[in-house]
Amino acid sequence: MSTGRPVALVGGASTVWGVRAATWSELVQEAGARLFAAVPGLAAADVDSLFVGAAEPERFAFQSHVAPLAAELLGLAPHRIVQRTELACASGQSAIRSAYAAIAAGLSEVAVVLGVEKMNLPSMAEANTSMACVMDRPWDGAHGATAPPFFAMVAQRHMLEYGTTPEQLAGVSVKNHRFANSNPDAQFYEKKFSREKLLGLPLVAPPLRLGDCSSMTDGAAAVVLVAGEKARQYTDTPAWVRGSGQHASWHNLANSGSLTDWVGMRSAAREALGSAGITAQQLDFAELHDCFTISELIEYEMLGLCPRGQGGRYLEEGQTEIGGDVVVNPRGGLLGCGHPLGATGVAQAVEVYRQFTHSVPPARQVPDPEWALVHNLSGSANVHSMMVYQRGS
Amino acid sequence: MKRTTPTAFDFFPQEESQQTRVSRFFEELRAGRLSTTRCRKDGALLWPPRVACPRCHGEDLEWVELPLTGRLYAFSAVLVGAPLGMEQDLPITVGLADLEGAPLRLFGRIVGAGWERLSVGQRVRVEPFAVPDERVFYRFRVDGGLAENSSA
Repeated sequence: MSTGRPVALVGGASTVWGVRAATWSELVQEAGARLFAAVPGLAAADVDSLFVGAAEPERFAFQSHVAPLAAELLGLAPHRIVQRTELACASGQSAIRSAYAAIAAGLSEVAVVLGVEKMNLPSMAEANTSMACVMDRPWDGAHGATAPPFFAMVAQRHMLEYGTTPEQLAGVSVKNHRFANSNPDAQFYEKKFSREKLLGLPLVAPPLRLGDCSSMTDGAAAVVLVAGEKARQYTDTPAWVRGSGQHASWHNLANSGSLTDWVGMRSAAREALGSAGITAQQLDFAELHDCFTISELIEYEMLGLCPRGQGGRYLEEGQTEIGGDVVVNPRGGLLGCGHPLGATGVAQAVEVYRQFTHSVPPARQVPDPEWALVHNLSGSANVHSMMVYQRGS
Repeated sequence: MKRTTPTAFDFFPQEESQQTRVSRFFEELRAGRLSTTRCRKDGALLWPPRVACPRCHGEDLEWVELPLTGRLYAFSAVLVGAPLGMEQDLPITVGLADLEGAPLRLFGRIVGAGWERLSVGQRVRVEPFAVPDERVFYRFRVDGGLAENSSA
């Protein structure tokens, strides 16, 4: 679906993520201040559109109609498109996709994309109720289930069908936490996790332990997308959007089919890589949605980086480390950075720009990257969203 | 106001015919039967009960009774992090079970045995249980598990 005119991502920024002493609106303001600092050529008057990725502000912040609120906080007066996108854990990428589509179609020239979520509340039961709403709430969420038991069942099946081990799961978490140790925006920037320590953490939803699960996180991030001909006004190194794919096939858990074969991800990958005209093996790095350790292993398989069932072995071979086939989650992933639902997809895109411009610490810099893929799943891995970027020069 | 209903359920009851077109599901469930809708035109078995067929988009659906036993395809348990009104229920064991004799893999809460004592392939039985505000819902009971009262 590579149609329309070229679109470039020309800069971005993230707030510090974690359990923040800050409200939803304050996180938006922080992201705005950091965005305008990171993209000096950006003038508020030039921004014609604003896209806000926010999953559940109605529950977490008791606030609807959030796009115009964000516009006010960012000092923007969009005169083309102002909208919020909601796609649970993929709400941020959904906002970027909308900006991309609008610019490609000629409806916008300069768009700001903001992703934000405030998840930590005094009552975590309240937050967990919000997470139950992501599922088919009256039929699945009503059983008391949220994401961890679902992905735990996925892990159980992958272990049963392919022999994947708890040590392999922990390996994902070790890698991503290590990358997060070089990312000052990450929730776990200063926390060290060894495999032994992770395997000793309490079970959250067996077989998944605390270290297998991404966190409830407060945070925001923002990027700027522009029409191709304007890219050089903002940067010498645009990140060109080259490919895109998305797939939704079911929602109620009864209609999920195999828990270990994510048909929708294979479809989205075909679409995204096909439209970019590359193979998965040509990627230099990928930001994959490691909401749980098992997710990342299955994502290797669905992306075609390794055969089905071999995700654990592929990780153990070091193929997703710097120096391996395709570096996965150099930002630190959802496991290391935390997962503020609406902000995650936007922060992944910020990482793409930072990697392309060699502006990250050496410990997580991918050598001379040209191609990057960003993936988000949402809900019960029933929706997959992907974008492919190429470094401009 | 004292909250009596777990909030992962509808804030207000939605099970009666004044509120939903699939109230028959809940009436049947009260009588101990599990049911859903099937499309008369293309035969698609639909879960949860629908009022239009998402395959052929016809509205000529019929009610069918489903088997009450199934085999666990996968299971886990919520050990921390329950929704409001369910904190006292921890750990909440849940699973997906393939119904015996119907092409349906049903998700639900499991009672009668903790997750440590379950295994894939184990037989479970669907049973109704009472939810505050005079509602009803379904859950799985591990086959051969000890009978408990409806607050399990």
